Amino acid sequence: MARIIASPAVNRRALLGGLATMAGSGPVFAQPRGEQLLVVMWGAQWIEVSRPIGEEWMRATGDRIQWELHAGGAMAIVGRLRPLWPRVPQNLIAAWDPVFAAMMEAGWMEPVNETEMPALRDIPDAFFKKDAQGRKMTVPLSTAGAFWGYRTDLVTGPPIESIEQLLEPRFRGKLCVPVPVNLSGLLLVSLAMQRGGNERNIEPGWQFLKQLAERGQIGRVVANNSEMINAMSAGDLSVAFWNTGGWQAVRDRFPCRLLTRLPDNKGFLFNEGFAVMKGENANRVAAAKRFANHFATAPINTRYNMPLGSGPTNINSTPAPAIADIFYKPDELERFAYIPDYAYMSSQVDAWTRRWETEITPLVRRG
Amino acid sequence: MTSRLALWLLAPGLLLLALLMGGPVALLALESLKPFVPGSMRPGEGWTLAHYRELLQPAYLFYFWETFRIGLIVSTLSLLLGAPLAFAAVRSPRAGLRKALLALLVGLLVMSLIARLYAVEMAWGSLGPLAPLGALLGIAPRHPRYAEVLVGIGLLHFTLPVVALMLVGTFRALSPRLEEAAASLGATRSDAVVSILLPLAAPGMVSAFLVSLAMCISNFVAPLVLGRGVVVFTTSLMYTRFADIGNYPAGAAIGVTMLILAFLVVYGLSALARRLVPR
Repeated sequence: MARIIASPAVNRRALLGGLATMAGSGPVFAQPRGEQLLVVMWGAQWIEVSRPIGEEWMRATGDRIQWELHAGGAMAIVGRLRPLWPRVPQNLIAAWDPVFAAMMEAGWMEPVNETEMPALRDIPDAFFKKDAQGRKMTVPLSTAGAFWGYRTDLVTGPPIESIEQLLEPRFRGKLCVPVPVNLSGLLLVSLAMQRGGNERNIEPGWQFLKQLAERGQIGRVVANNSEMINAMSAGDLSVAFWNTGGWQAVRDRFPCRLLTRLPDNKGFLFNEGFAVMKGENANRVAAAKRFANHFATAPINTRYNMPLGSGPTNINSTPAPAIADIFYKPDELERFAYIPDYAYMSSQVDAWTRRWETEITPLVRRG
Repeated sequence: MTSRLALWLLAPGLLLLALLMGGPVALLALESLKPFVPGSMRPGEGWTLAHYRELLQPAYLFYFWETFRIGLIVSTLSLLLGAPLAFAAVRSPRAGLRKALLALLVGLLVMSLIARLYAVEMAWGSLGPLAPLGALLGIAPRHPRYAEVLVGIGLLHFTLPVVALMLVGTFRALSPRLEEAAASLGATRSDAVVSILLPLAAPGMVSAFLVSLAMCISNFVAPLVLGRGVVVFTTSLMYTRFADIGNYPAGAAIGVTMLILAFLVVYGLSALARRLVPR
């Protein structure tokens, strides 16, 4: 200690001066104002864009935002909250349609309305998830999608115009695909649709998937955004089925083509946003609604979606020019886009996961 | 001290252990017998053995086998690499080398496992500079089965320092005079090691091996980060059931099965070691 006081940087005068400044500043020692909120967000770009928005909010309001990241797919949060309910510490959870469906079924979400959250007036009604009484239950922030795509610098030969081409020998070990718990099994639905099926007639998808696995086309199976971004950036994989956020990160670094307008396959659309969790502390629930409303306002909604490569939900927001090839014009929606029954799919994920474990993983492993 | 008094003195600790360790395991066992309702957060009514029956499918037996197989290989490698390291850290005549080895082992122990696993991926992954070395095992670095090599190296990073440090204690407890006595009776250095040192160190080596095995088969992060989604340990299966799907009963059944299997394997290996190296 004597050595520290004797150092030229920290002398007695500086120490006393510092203490006086701290005492004068008041709030350092005072009880912090505002509410403490625990907000669950995805990693990668989601947290990168959300953190500065949260810091500005904290400075402006005195609320304290603590971020928690999803581990694995967003659906994992449902399993983690189940044993804790109703005493869950999370106040806001960033999720997407299938997760909202599961949380709504469990009765965990707080209804939202325009009186408390004025920014919701500028979000189209169709984007909201509603309960049986027609109450709005979600705060939609992004319109996103899941698509096939590839790195054009790594794929040699003719461009991919049909998913059937993925069976060609040049794609051996080159495919990066998600496990069924990710994207609620959209990979299977995509493959099923290629062979005439859909989410309720999934068998053609399994047959196609088995063919891909048996021929050694699948090089890696990923479980979250970071894994997909790492896998596609490393350079030993060239084709993937993933969501817009992951693709945006890969597109930032490498030339990519997203297969959003295939004649015989479709891209999938969904909404991402916040769920406000029910809680015993009314002030905290109100603070969570204020924070979610802030994200839904036009300037923040623009800022939030721009680096994610997602479409903003607020009608007054500005979409990123870079996402023009991802999103569909109204006349293209029917031809190229598909919005599956996510609630049904989330009820099938358990069975699909078991089938993946027993039928697909052993085949992929063989390579 | 009478045995009755010893029991009374042990009672608070045993009670605490039963509450903290036995309680969760008992709850896990109960949960494993409940039916699962897909798409619902609530468990079904009644009791069932369906989750255990499902694990008898060949694909799931393979996951159990795979977990133990990779665990046994890595533990054997840990022992083979850790024993000479520990021996040198205890018996080397050069004090600097002894200190450096101990510092290396402790340093490896405290270094973040996640950082080490990503370092393994960077170095040994399909485009890493060490990938050609991994390919010497006969699997192309881009092949999905190469993930086994990566997971093995990742687990080795985790277990090797632990095994070596445990063996440091074992070798320290053995007096060098025993080998000197053997040498004075005409034994060569290798004879002394094989006939004196190894039998005396065997109980410690078996313990280190079993600790390493337990660390491997319960590891979740190494297969997750390095397994490329195709090396699936039972821990990953459990995680998927609990965290991704919310199927607690099925996850609990895998957990209980692993617990029983681990007990059987540890008991079997201990019995085998006792038979091979009688005291």
